[in-house]
Amino acid sequence: MAQVGERESEELTLVTTKPYFDLPTACPLCLPLFIYLKLAHFPFRLSFNSIFPDSDQIPYVESGTYVAYNNENGGVIENLKRDGIVDLDSEFQSVPDWVAMKAMISSWLADAMMYELWVGSDGKSACKIYYSDLSWPIVKVLFLKQVYSVKQHLGITKDNAEQREDEIYKRAKIAYGALSTRLGDQDFLFDDRPSSLDATFLGHVLVTLHALPETSVLRSKLLEHGNVVRYAEKHKTKLIESSSSSSGPQFRSVPSSSTPKRGPSNWSSKPKSQPKREKTEGEKTFKRRARYFLAAQLVVVLLFLSLMGGNDAGDMELDDEDEGNAFD
Amino acid sequence: MSNLDSVPDLTPPNSKPDPEHQTPFSTNEIDEEDDDGDDENDVEDDEEDEDEDENGVSGGPNRPKPHSREARFRSEKLKMDSLLQRMKTGPVSVRIHDVIIKGNTKTKDHIIEAETEVLNNVGSMQELLKASQIVNLRLQALEIFDSVKITLDSGPPELPGTANVIIEVVETTRPLSGQIGAYTKAEARSSTVEGSLKYKNLFGYGDLWDGSLAYGYDHSAELSAGVFLPRFKGLVTPVTARAYLLSQDWLTFSSYKERSMGLSLGLFSNQHHEVTYNLAWRTLTDPSQMSSRSVRRQLGHNLLSSLKYTFKFDRRNSSMRPTRGYAFVSSTQLGGLVPDSRSLRFLRQEFDLRYAVPLGFYHAALNFGVSGGVVFPWGNGFSSKPSSLPERFFLGGNISPVCALGGPTTLWGFKTRGFGPTEPKRRVNNENANPSGVDFLGGDLAVTALADLSFDLPFRWFREKGIHAHVFACAGNVTKLTEFEYRNFSVQKLVESLRSSVGVGLVVPTSLFRMEINYCYILKKFNHDRAKTGAWLTFSSAT
Repeated sequence: MAQVGERESEELTLVTTKPYFDLPTACPLCLPLFIYLKLAHFPFRLSFNSIFPDSDQIPYVESGTYVAYNNENGGVIENLKRDGIVDLDSEFQSVPDWVAMKAMISSWLADAMMYELWVGSDGKSACKIYYSDLSWPIVKVLFLKQVYSVKQHLGITKDNAEQREDEIYKRAKIAYGALSTRLGDQDFLFDDRPSSLDATFLGHVLVTLHALPETSVLRSKLLEHGNVVRYAEKHKTKLIESSSSSSGPQFRSVPSSSTPKRGPSNWSSKPKSQPKREKTEGEKTFKRRARYFLAAQLVVVLLFLSLMGGNDAGDMELDDEDEGNAFD
Repeated sequence: MSNLDSVPDLTPPNSKPDPEHQTPFSTNEIDEEDDDGDDENDVEDDEEDEDEDENGVSGGPNRPKPHSREARFRSEKLKMDSLLQRMKTGPVSVRIHDVIIKGNTKTKDHIIEAETEVLNNVGSMQELLKASQIVNLRLQALEIFDSVKITLDSGPPELPGTANVIIEVVETTRPLSGQIGAYTKAEARSSTVEGSLKYKNLFGYGDLWDGSLAYGYDHSAELSAGVFLPRFKGLVTPVTARAYLLSQDWLTFSSYKERSMGLSLGLFSNQHHEVTYNLAWRTLTDPSQMSSRSVRRQLGHNLLSSLKYTFKFDRRNSSMRPTRGYAFVSSTQLGGLVPDSRSLRFLRQEFDLRYAVPLGFYHAALNFGVSGGVVFPWGNGFSSKPSSLPERFFLGGNISPVCALGGPTTLWGFKTRGFGPTEPKRRVNNENANPSGVDFLGGDLAVTALADLSFDLPFRWFREKGIHAHVFACAGNVTKLTEFEYRNFSVQKLVESLRSSVGVGLVVPTSLFRMEINYCYILKKFNHDRAKTGAWLTFSSAT
C-alpha cells in the first residue's frame, strides 16, 4: 500500500477543478494545461480541488515535493518549460506571428471568456464549473465577490458597461477571425505541430462551445468559424475521449535533481503579486531575541505585580456593590 | 401550636413575654441553620414593617402600646426571639401571598420573576429564608443590578399565615465595563490574552452584550461579539449567541492559515452539561505556497455546521493546583448538521480523566491523568476520505498538561504541534536554500497520560506565595486512521511509538496565570519531533 502511494506521489499529478459539461475540467484556465500535457503525450494523473475556486494557485502540477503553481513565473506551462519537463514551443519562439497570436489569445480571448462567464451570461455556467461542491451561502458570497472582481479587472462601470461589452465582443471577433485564418484547414496553428498556443486556444474554444449557454454572444461569434469548431471537436475526440485512463502503465516522474534550463535559478515560492523582502539570518535572529527579551520583561512585571501586589491586577471590571444584600 | 393570626406576630396570642427572661438574640445559630455559606447574603427577618401594620405590638389586644423607642425595640426583640425559638423547634408554616418587585425601570418584570420561581413552593419560614437567599444569588448573577434587597413582609391581615416578599433592585448605573484577562482555551491549546467590553441590560431583558478581541500565543487573533440572554422565550437555561471572526496562523507548523467567520450558539448550559451549536465559514489558505501534498488537498472553503455536547464533572479542590478529587470531561462534536452533503461531516470525541491523591506531607499530592480523542469523517466513502485538518489532534504547546482539562492537548517538553504524522513540504529549487522541512499534519487518534507529584517547598516565603515544586512524567502519541490507515493500526504500534518525557520544576501561581519553570528530559522522541531537553517555561490560566 505504501509503495503504491509513493509511486502515485512521484507521478506527475495535475490538480484542476472538477469535470463538467462533458469536459475533463470545464475551467478555462485548467483545460489548456490538460490539453498541453496530452498534446505532449506526457502521462499524468488528474486530481481535483473543488473547494477553492477563487484560488490563483489552481491549476498546478505536482510530483513528489515538486510543485508548479499557476500564479508563479507566468503560469504552469512556462514553469514546465523552464524546469525542462515539457516544452512544445522551442521552435516557435522566432515565428513572427507567434507573439501576436499569443497576445491575442492570452488577453482578448481570455478577457472575453472571463466577461462571458461572470457578467455576460446569467452566471449559471460559472457556478456549475466552480461552485458545484460548495454550500449555498458560500457560493452566493464568492459569486458576488468574483463578479465584482471581474468588473474591476475589465474596467466595467455602470456608465461604460455597454461600451465595454461591445469592445470586448469586437476584440473577440477579431481574434477569432485572425486565428481562423491562421489555422485554415491544418491540424494545428503552427507548422502542423502542436504548441502551447494550440492548447490554450483549444481550451478556450471547447469551454465556449460546451460550457457557455446557447444564448451566449461569444459562442455565436465563435460558431461563425466552422474550421475552428471542427478543429476543436477533432482534438476533443482524439485527446480527451479516447484516453480512458490518464495514468498509463508507464509513468514519468520529475527527476529530483532537475535544474532550470536557463539563467540563475530564481525560484520564487511566493506569489509574484506580493514580493517580500528577503530577511537576512542576522536580522531574523535579532528580531527573535528582541521578542524573547520583551516577553521576559513582561513576564517579570506581571509576576511582580501578582506576587507582591495582590489582587486582580488585570481585571478592570467595575465591581457590583454588594452592600445591598442584607435582608432588613 | 395554636393558629397564628398573622405571620409577623409570632408569639402565641396568650403568652406574656417576660422582658427579664428574654433569651439573647443570637444570629450565629440562625446562620448555621439557614446560611449555606456566603456571609454577604445573611438573611434577617424583617419585623419593622410588620409592626406598622399591627394594631397591637405583641401578645393579646389588652397590652398597652409602648411609647418609648427602647420599649419598641425591646418588644421587637422579643418577637424575634420567640420566632427564632419556634424556628429552632420545628417548621413554622407560612406561604407566599405576593412577590412585589420594585426599583426596575428598565428591566422587564418577567426577567426578575423568572428568578423567583423557587419562592412559589415555600411552605415554612425556614424554607422561605433559604429560598430568599437563592433568589438573591440568582438576581446578582444576572450582573445587571448594583444591589438586590429582599424584604419579608406580612401578608394581608385577612389571609393569615401568609407573607409578602418585596424585592428591591437597584439597576446598574454604569452598564459599560471593560476587562482584560488571560485564559487557556482547550481548543486553542495555548494561552490567550483577551480584552473585552461589556454592555449590560441594553434592552431590559437582562441581556449582556460584549465585544472582545483576543490574541493567542499561537498567532491566533479573534474578534467577536456576543449576547447573553438569561431568559429567552421560556427556555430553562440562558442562551448565548456569539458572532466571531477568527484567524489562526499555522504557517510555521503546518503551512496553512485558517480564517473562520461564524456564529456560535450556547443552547443549554448548567453545571455538568453544555450544548453548543456552531455555524461557520472556514477557509484554509497557504500564502507561503510551501505546503505539503496533504495540506494542499485541504486548502479551500468549507461550511461547518456542528453540534457539540460537553459533559463535565469536576470534583477536584482546585483546577490550578489539584490536590484532592477527580474530574471527568467528555465532549462529542458532530459536524455536518445540514441537509447539504457538501458541508464538513465529521464526528469528534474526546475525553479526559483526572485523579488527585493527597499524600499528607508538605501539602503533597499525586495527580494522574489520561486523555484521548478520535476524529473520523462520515458520509459516503468516509473510509477513504481524509479528516478535516483543523479538526485533527495536534499535541504540543506551552501550557501545562495539569491545567489543560478537556482532552489530549500537550506533553511537557514538546513544542506547539511538535510531534505526530509529518509530510515533507514543497521542495524549493534553489541550491542555497535550506531543506524545506516538514508539515505537521496532526492525527485522527491521540492519547496522553500524565503523572505529577506536587509538594510544598520547605521555605515559608514560598509557601505563603503558593510557590511549590513538582516532579512529572508524561507520555502520548498521535496517529492517523483515515484514508485506509486504520487497516495498519495496532495498539502495539501505538505503544511502541509513544513519546515520553520526565522532569522537575517550580510552579508559581499568580492571580492571572500559573507559571511553571521546568527542566524537561525527553525520554523518547522520533525524527522531526520538535522537542528539546532543557529549560521550559509554561503559562496556563483557569480553563
